[in-house]
Amino acid sequence: MSQKPSFSLISTKKIIQMNDVWTSYDSKNFALESINLSIDRGANYAIVGQSGSGKSTLLKLMNGMMIPSKGIIKIDYVTPNMNDKKFKNMMHTIGYIPQSLGLVKNITVLENILIGALPRLGKLESLLKKFPEHEIQEAKKIISQVGLSGKENRKAYMLSGGEKRRVAIARALMQKPTILLADEIVSELDHVTAHEIMKLITGAQKRMNLTAIMVHHDIELALEYANRVAVIKEGQKILEIGVEGDTIVDFQTGDMNNDEIMEMYANDS
Amino acid sequence: MTPKNNIIIGIIIALLVIASYNVDANPIDFVEGLPNLAVIVEEMVLVEPKYIPTAFWAMLETIQMAFIGTVVGVAIALPLSMLAARNLNNKYIYGPTRALLAAIRTFPSILWAILFVIMVGLGPFAGVLAIIMYTIGFIGKLQYEVIETIDSDPMDAVNSIGVSKLQLIRYVVIPESASHLLGQMLYMFDYNVRQTSILGLVGAGGIGFYIINYIKFFEYGKAAIFMLVVLVTVLVIDWISVKIRDKYIVKSQHGMEVITK
Repeated sequence: MSQKPSFSLISTKKIIQMNDVWTSYDSKNFALESINLSIDRGANYAIVGQSGSGKSTLLKLMNGMMIPSKGIIKIDYVTPNMNDKKFKNMMHTIGYIPQSLGLVKNITVLENILIGALPRLGKLESLLKKFPEHEIQEAKKIISQVGLSGKENRKAYMLSGGEKRRVAIARALMQKPTILLADEIVSELDHVTAHEIMKLITGAQKRMNLTAIMVHHDIELALEYANRVAVIKEGQKILEIGVEGDTIVDFQTGDMNNDEIMEMYANDS
Repeated sequence: MTPKNNIIIGIIIALLVIASYNVDANPIDFVEGLPNLAVIVEEMVLVEPKYIPTAFWAMLETIQMAFIGTVVGVAIALPLSMLAARNLNNKYIYGPTRALLAAIRTFPSILWAILFVIMVGLGPFAGVLAIIMYTIGFIGKLQYEVIETIDSDPMDAVNSIGVSKLQLIRYVVIPESASHLLGQMLYMFDYNVRQTSILGLVGAGGIGFYIINYIKFFEYGKAAIFMLVVLVTVLVIDWISVKIRDKYIVKSQHGMEVITK
């Protein structure tokens, strides 16, 4: 086909781009307003905001579960939309961990994790639950990485809150993803467990060179682990900040002022 | 007690009287008829134990009919229930499937039995076919309702991995609805044993065939043996299903409670 390459705003360095994205639940109220985001390949990105600010909606836009009412989103050059064949074929490269985790309660830890390998499995094999040996070995490797060794055969409903999160992470890693989306994965955990889980994800992100995008409501936790933090308030991105050395940089204005930004956020919340 | 409540109670009583008049339900007839019951009971007490083996074999046939009917019925109902679930299909698929299940359910099993007796002739096979139809209509509906109440979180999460619908059914829908299905199958089997016991009335095999014939010829003592065998069998099946429920279903229900915390 001798088609001229069309003009594109997308740079190869950026894995996720959002351009003036609006979403609405009805025609009057917008959940997100004019969001612009661009996320580097391999970044550890965080989105912070209060409940109802629209931060979970942002993640659902990235994995195609929702489509914007206005604006452009590109994930690796593809517009995310669950019902679109082209995107459906790349969905296995996006690991998504919803806030509810979405584990299947009545099957074991190992089976839950193997679900991540389903897109690589043939029709008959998946119907008969016959996973190839190398997939089972891979699952066991991931189980030990997330610290669930010896619990492979527990039913998911028997696990503690921290363990359930580890299973959800393992299932996402089993997908061999390039992008990992996690929605408030440490919100209801105690301090120690929260940091264990965050270290686990950050470790995997570096090891597998993933682009991690995590939604939090705690800005300090977000700044501790992420390169960049977008602050969402009432559906708008009000800040994009990151830590460089021991100062907080505002990437929207280029200002570097630690206290002012923290104060600004404190006033907002 | 508010005046509004009094009016409602008054209306219900009025309807009761009108309906009773219309269907000729006269309590005096009932009282006058009591001596007739005494005659039947008196004759029934004269049980003839030598018919116990016959009754036993007839019951065994009934149970086998119910067993085939339940297993085959559930096997056909399951795929239909997947098609009828609103959270798995669009309306062009679930709409007609639901209509089909509703149409099947409209007929009680005895009407199906009559239909199949005409089709395949007298005998247990007609009864088995009737039980299959009834089970399809019933389990199909119960099961699609269960599927629709499955937590949407695991469905969404697994869907976002990019799995096929078949995989979603195999790895989320079936495991999450299995304990309900087991309960329904037990209930259905129990119900089908009782149903099959009366399908004999229209010549569709089973123990009911004996009961209706003995009653026709006023041999209440012989009929009583067969009815007694039905009663004991139903009690035994009930007892076994309680045991199975306790072992498998209560446990998984408990598990569901744990996860919501």
